[in-house]
Amino acid sequence: MNTTAQSLAMTPWKQGVKDAIPLLGGYIPVAISFGLISIQSGFSVLETILISTFIYAGASQFLFVAMAASGAPLWLVVIMTLLINARHVVYGPNLSPYLNHDKKWLPLMHGLTDQIFALAHARLPQLPESARIGWYTGAAVLAWLSWIAGTALGAVAGGELTQRWPLINDILPFALPALFLVLIIPRCNNRLWSLTIALSAVTALTLKMLGYPNVAIPLAALCGALLFYALKDQRIVGGH
Amino acid sequence: MDTSMWLALVSIAVGTYLLRLLPYVWMKRSLAKKQMEGGIGAMPIWLTILGPTMVAAMFGTSLVPAHSDAVSWLATGVGTLVTFGVWTRTRSMGLPILCGVVAFGVVTLIL
Repeated sequence: MNTTAQSLAMTPWKQGVKDAIPLLGGYIPVAISFGLISIQSGFSVLETILISTFIYAGASQFLFVAMAASGAPLWLVVIMTLLINARHVVYGPNLSPYLNHDKKWLPLMHGLTDQIFALAHARLPQLPESARIGWYTGAAVLAWLSWIAGTALGAVAGGELTQRWPLINDILPFALPALFLVLIIPRCNNRLWSLTIALSAVTALTLKMLGYPNVAIPLAALCGALLFYALKDQRIVGGH
Repeated sequence: MDTSMWLALVSIAVGTYLLRLLPYVWMKRSLAKKQMEGGIGAMPIWLTILGPTMVAAMFGTSLVPAHSDAVSWLATGVGTLVTFGVWTRTRSMGLPILCGVVAFGVVTLIL
């Protein structure tokens, strides 16, 4: 896939599926881990699969099973998991200029995860309007099904899988940073955006290493945005 | 799971969906209203900045390896450089990711 091309060599949904394939390297190992941990926390295979199908948000699912297993009050479990997902509120508005008024977009918002947002934010502007819903459907459904399938696999045979092929957990997840890199690097086309992107990435990395993985993304994004505002009128960094 | 646990699950699922859906519906209506009033339907600038910075932050968090040892960091560095190097040549998506993962895997396996 060319990140600057406008035309599609295949049907939109097939192109969406193709573009989303790198996501699987990150999704499936994490989903297998979730399936395994959920079973170990006392949930059944069916319950585990339903959690992945309907909540469909990695970090909050892990928190949900961990807090539920520890006997935390359920109202607190609900609040904490929703707080983790609060960063999602900026995704839909950012994509809305590229989406038409088709009502099918409403159920498709269920698939708007971090990774699908990153992919769609880079790809939708390059696609003709008529191809966008098909492209998004292909990408989002593949990601969703892979998350459910990975969870089921982890719930049924997670322990055996990770013992036999430990590299599944060690190597494939690198597909995610590689994907985010190729999605964000075209944005670094002037000094202002390069500094903004660099600060956001370094802040997020630092926060995660310090043990704050859940606030790392929104807080780092906010830091980057503040830097952008602070520097945007400075001649030395150039405009955007 | 007992009934209260099912209720919690449904609440989280519905709440997460609404967190994704409602801001989109709000922005769509806001843009349409501005266009109806004769203006240009444009997003607030802060929102257009927050989009790329969120993706950059996802990149930053995803760089932290599961095992925080020297080999994992070296593999992450090599994988990132290879991904970037292949991207600068191809300006594509699939090949740089594939090469990055292979480079990451080679360093992990060899060292």
